[in-house]
Amino acid sequence: MDVNRREVLKVLMGGSAVAAVAAAGAPVATAGDSQEFALDPEAVGLMYDATKCIGCRACMPACQNANGLKPDVGGSGGLYMQPDTLNAHTKNLIKLYTAPDGSERSFMKQQCMHCVDPACVSGCPMKALHKEPKGVVGWDPVLCIGCRYCQVACPFNIPKFEWDTVNPKIVKCELCRHIVGKTVSQPACTQVCPTHAVVYGKRSDLLAEAKRRIKEKPGYYFEDRVYGENEVGGTQCLVLSHVDYTNLGLPKLSNESPAAKSRQVSDFVYRGFLTPVVVYGGIVAIVRKRWKEHLEHEGGDTTHGEEKRA
Amino acid sequence: MTATWERCIRLKEPLKTRPFLIFAGLAALGLLLGAYRELTGLGYVTGLNDGYSWGLFKNWNVTALTALGSGGYAVAVLAWIFNEKRFHPIMRTAVLTSLLGYGTGMLALGFDVGRPWNFVWLADPRTWNHYSVLWEVAVCMTAYFILALDVENMPPFLEKMYRSGDPTKKEKAMKIFRFMQRTFPFGIALAFTLPSMHQSSLGQLMYLAGPRVHPLWQTPLLGLLYLLMAYILGFACVLLVLALSSYAWNLGWDADIMQRLGQIMAWAITVWLVVRYADLAYRGALGYIFAFNKFSIYFLIEEALIIVPTLLLFSKANRESPAALFRLTFLICVGGLVYRFTPTTLAFSPLGDYHYFPSTFEILMSIGFTALAVAVFLYAVKTYAILPASQGKIAAEEAMRPFDTL
Repeated sequence: MDVNRREVLKVLMGGSAVAAVAAAGAPVATAGDSQEFALDPEAVGLMYDATKCIGCRACMPACQNANGLKPDVGGSGGLYMQPDTLNAHTKNLIKLYTAPDGSERSFMKQQCMHCVDPACVSGCPMKALHKEPKGVVGWDPVLCIGCRYCQVACPFNIPKFEWDTVNPKIVKCELCRHIVGKTVSQPACTQVCPTHAVVYGKRSDLLAEAKRRIKEKPGYYFEDRVYGENEVGGTQCLVLSHVDYTNLGLPKLSNESPAAKSRQVSDFVYRGFLTPVVVYGGIVAIVRKRWKEHLEHEGGDTTHGEEKRA
Repeated sequence: MTATWERCIRLKEPLKTRPFLIFAGLAALGLLLGAYRELTGLGYVTGLNDGYSWGLFKNWNVTALTALGSGGYAVAVLAWIFNEKRFHPIMRTAVLTSLLGYGTGMLALGFDVGRPWNFVWLADPRTWNHYSVLWEVAVCMTAYFILALDVENMPPFLEKMYRSGDPTKKEKAMKIFRFMQRTFPFGIALAFTLPSMHQSSLGQLMYLAGPRVHPLWQTPLLGLLYLLMAYILGFACVLLVLALSSYAWNLGWDADIMQRLGQIMAWAITVWLVVRYADLAYRGALGYIFAFNKFSIYFLIEEALIIVPTLLLFSKANRESPAALFRLTFLICVGGLVYRFTPTTLAFSPLGDYHYFPSTFEILMSIGFTALAVAVFLYAVKTYAILPASQGKIAAEEAMRPFDTL
């Protein structure tokens, strides 16, 4: 019994030694990894400045027309109603926050933030959700199996699912990637915004502009901070407002992407798939030995009970 | 009542008993509702929504119940790696519960996904996102089911073929037996490696959800905790199935096997508890335990269901009493399932005003999947030599050597 336990430990320790050697080589792999998920210098996005938004909601029907979405009529039989949150008919929604004491108000444009290192893309088993050139987070109906892990993973609760059809799709803002650069130069929402509260452009330009506005009016914007600059490793859609971002439905999040954290744990355990191979080899060695003992004990050739008893 | 289980036997009982018909009926109802679900959208028949987009099928039938299906894996580790030979006679029962646990879990997954036709792309490696924990679960579970579980469950089928009286079938069975004899260790090793991977991945799935899972559960060690819980629930499931079978069909009680299983389970839980609380302390999350909000209540219920019976299991008198062992294991089983289920649903908070409670339709489907497992189990133990019995009970269809004591 003791001898056997020792053998097992020996094999397991052998495995960890190999894993340790592999760990030494790991930084090389990690460097490539971070390259793959880093910010594309050409990445595009939106900047929404809530202080400039007048709440006209022109962007909402524009979005629906550009994306072929039917108006959300709920169960009304045709009467359009403003939904209370994003849904399978709504990729873009203007909300209004009013403080309980009425002291401050701010509009909010709810939509996909187009994370630099998105949890939905990292979680998607089939690469249906993926990063397009220029960092747009796109969805591919040909690959999606409808598992909805993207909905579980998204820290902003953005991807929506068509619950009422047998051919359901994932619905979320894709920055009008099907028309931008082809028939139009910018997404529908920025095209129609009368006050330029939401603008389209290169993320680096947008971030610089956001910072310029903060510098111009110190103390005006909440915490003098652009939401999305660093949250979950950065998002390509940036938000500026004078009220606390959590009141606008933008949660307080760490600066590390959950996708990156998840990959770190997997990389640590799997070591480029070396761990499973080492464990498998170790177990084969142990079980082969046991199997040989078993065959010797029970009769090597495949005989059956009757013959043995006879 | 005491017995020494040595060989596997086929139960010589009529199949169509009342319990079998009830379970088969529930299974048929579940599958029928499943077929109806395929003709409508998920939203019409389930309580799922954009906030709680995973519900009973994934979180209960897959994440929680495949831990019960880890019996074949957990007992194989004892029998093959730690060389506790006494467990070989119960291996067939263990690998059968695994086959059924995983089979019905994967069935539930098939009904849950919205665009199942796109599964065909799994055949094209270019579509694989190997960073996706869910991809790992899907591929690894399928591989385990096909490459390991099916093979582990082969001997009873081959025996039946061998004894069919047809010489060509007999020849074929012998051929496969000889092949298996050569390749068996490679299969067993796969049956260890693959579940280690996907049972931990099932926990790691929720790590990607980050702050949406309450800190009492959210940790980078979710994978390790889920894996350890798979061992515990695997032992528990095998123990409960054997106890119920022994009671139902008068198989006797192998106190040596059963109390040892209970003892190992108690030690495995101790390891789990050390990891669980060390992790909570390291992350500074212990304070949430006595916040007495709904999360702290869930936590306290879960921990009480696990800790109290475990302490009682350390008493040998309790382990040697079949009734006490059964009750304590049952409580641990409930607590363990609550732990595996909680991070996915009860401790999960999406942004915004969302609520989830499974619809009746959903619950009936979920029960149907489990009933299917029970019905197939009843069929299998009356058709093949699966359940362990003492030497005295062994009839003509004694299992084949050298696979009879696996």
